[in-house]
Amino acid sequence: MANRSFQMCMQCATCSMVSTCLCRALKFLSTRDSKIKAEAVKWPEGKTLRLEIPGARGFTVTGTRAGFKTLHPSTPGDVTIRFKSPADAFRVFTGQLSVAQAYAQHRFTLRGSMGLAMPFVRCVDIVEGYLFPAFMARRILKRLPKKEVSTARVYGAVLFGR
Amino acid sequence: MSAYYEFQLPSKILSGDEALEHIPHELEGLGARRPLLLSDEGLERAGMVKTVLAALAQGGLAPAEVFCHIPPDSSIGVVNDIAGRYRAAGCDSLIAVGGGSVIDTAKGVGMVLAQAGEDLLSQSGCEVLPRGEHVPFVAVPTTAGTGSEATIVAVVANPAEKVKLEFLSYHLLPDVAVLDPRMTETLPPRITASTGFDALVHAIEAATCLQRNPVSDAFAEKAMEQIVQNLPTAVRNGRDKQARMAMANGSLLAGAAFSNSMVGLVHAIGHALGGVCQVAHGDAMTILLPAVMKYNLSACAQRYGELLLPLGGPALYASTPARLRGERAIQCLVELRRQLSALTGLPTTLEATGKVSKGDFTAVATTALNDGAIIVNPVEADLEDIIGILEEVWA
Repeated sequence: MANRSFQMCMQCATCSMVSTCLCRALKFLSTRDSKIKAEAVKWPEGKTLRLEIPGARGFTVTGTRAGFKTLHPSTPGDVTIRFKSPADAFRVFTGQLSVAQAYAQHRFTLRGSMGLAMPFVRCVDIVEGYLFPAFMARRILKRLPKKEVSTARVYGAVLFGR
Repeated sequence: MSAYYEFQLPSKILSGDEALEHIPHELEGLGARRPLLLSDEGLERAGMVKTVLAALAQGGLAPAEVFCHIPPDSSIGVVNDIAGRYRAAGCDSLIAVGGGSVIDTAKGVGMVLAQAGEDLLSQSGCEVLPRGEHVPFVAVPTTAGTGSEATIVAVVANPAEKVKLEFLSYHLLPDVAVLDPRMTETLPPRITASTGFDALVHAIEAATCLQRNPVSDAFAEKAMEQIVQNLPTAVRNGRDKQARMAMANGSLLAGAAFSNSMVGLVHAIGHALGGVCQVAHGDAMTILLPAVMKYNLSACAQRYGELLLPLGGPALYASTPARLRGERAIQCLVELRRQLSALTGLPTTLEATGKVSKGDFTAVATTALNDGAIIVNPVEADLEDIIGILEEVWA
């Protein structure tokens, strides 16, 4: 039992950390990578997407002409993706499952319009292509995205929060 | 094959002669006596609603209200309006008699009522709705195509934002699905072909997408066998009861399969062709299927090869070398399509629909990219890939 609860705490902590990294990478790349930039520019004005992980830190984002912006974590989402358990989020955030695979395996629920969630899913796939080593990305992504920025710069932005 | 899967089909299926006459008994078992019967004007004119009412009367049941004004592309407003009528008439259950639009509308009404809500718009999404109050629901399909009587999906238009909203919830499934040969025997050959091909696409995409699982595979493969063996006969002779029932069962099996494993790129592009260019859904499926299968062949060759058995039969399967079976399965579908097109004029190219111009391709591809069905397609498809497929099926 204690082992189980320690494992869950570790999963929650990892998910919180990776969700912060993902968010920072998304913001950074939305000003550097042409495909993510295009998704941010086309994002319906004022619409928000919230990612929720039980027991861990999620985020709320919105797209603008200047790229993706994070909003206060309590901001409600026009679309909310909620993982069913921390273990489900852990699988995605540690590169064991892609977002598409997680969807196929009922690992999360989605409240709101699927049409608004799809651009976000495409962006996450691209971000994962930068963040995960090639052997991991190749295993989970249907197609490896073409990198337009060096991985070192993305990691720098993630570490220093810029 | 998905490493983890979920599958649900709680609907009771009544399939065969005089199935309609059993509806009163089923409703009684569900504790309902005052159903609201929903249908559309075309079916009312064709006498289908009268047939159902007569069958209900035999069991001593008369609907508390009958509403036959559901449009082909139902909307949030229609759903909310019907929910209001249900409450005003003191109804206690729903009977939907129709194709996809009528059954999806009934699912939407059921959702609004179950959640004691006023507006369906607040309930869109995947797997987010609690069960809520149980509204007994009987679905009577009048086409063998959408499989909506066995799916957890409802598609309802939101005209204000010019989009079709998808609702996915296990609580949308009807309590009872009724397959009666009288409901499809007068379906014109052209619509029989188009809707039948739609059901076939449900089965093929369900059997090949990322969410496929052992149970959905079993449903999908049986559906393919039923449809391929009976669709040409149902088109040639609509009064052939055996072929009609096989098509109704095949459509239901395909619906149950894709409801639990989803569909892929054919549907993503097909929905977009419907939304942007008003191409009929079944026609879009017919036009796109072989081209998308070729596109997916790199990831699906082995699986398509396995599908040659239900699609082409045991003799063809056994006589085809394993490495060629995938492509042969696609050829079988092209041959079936050619046959149906010769019989009914079913279009096999986008140009032949008369509704699409090449200038629409970018808008169609952009819309398809945001369709949820694309996420479980086994091969990634971006804007250029989709435009490439549209070019291929143009003429």
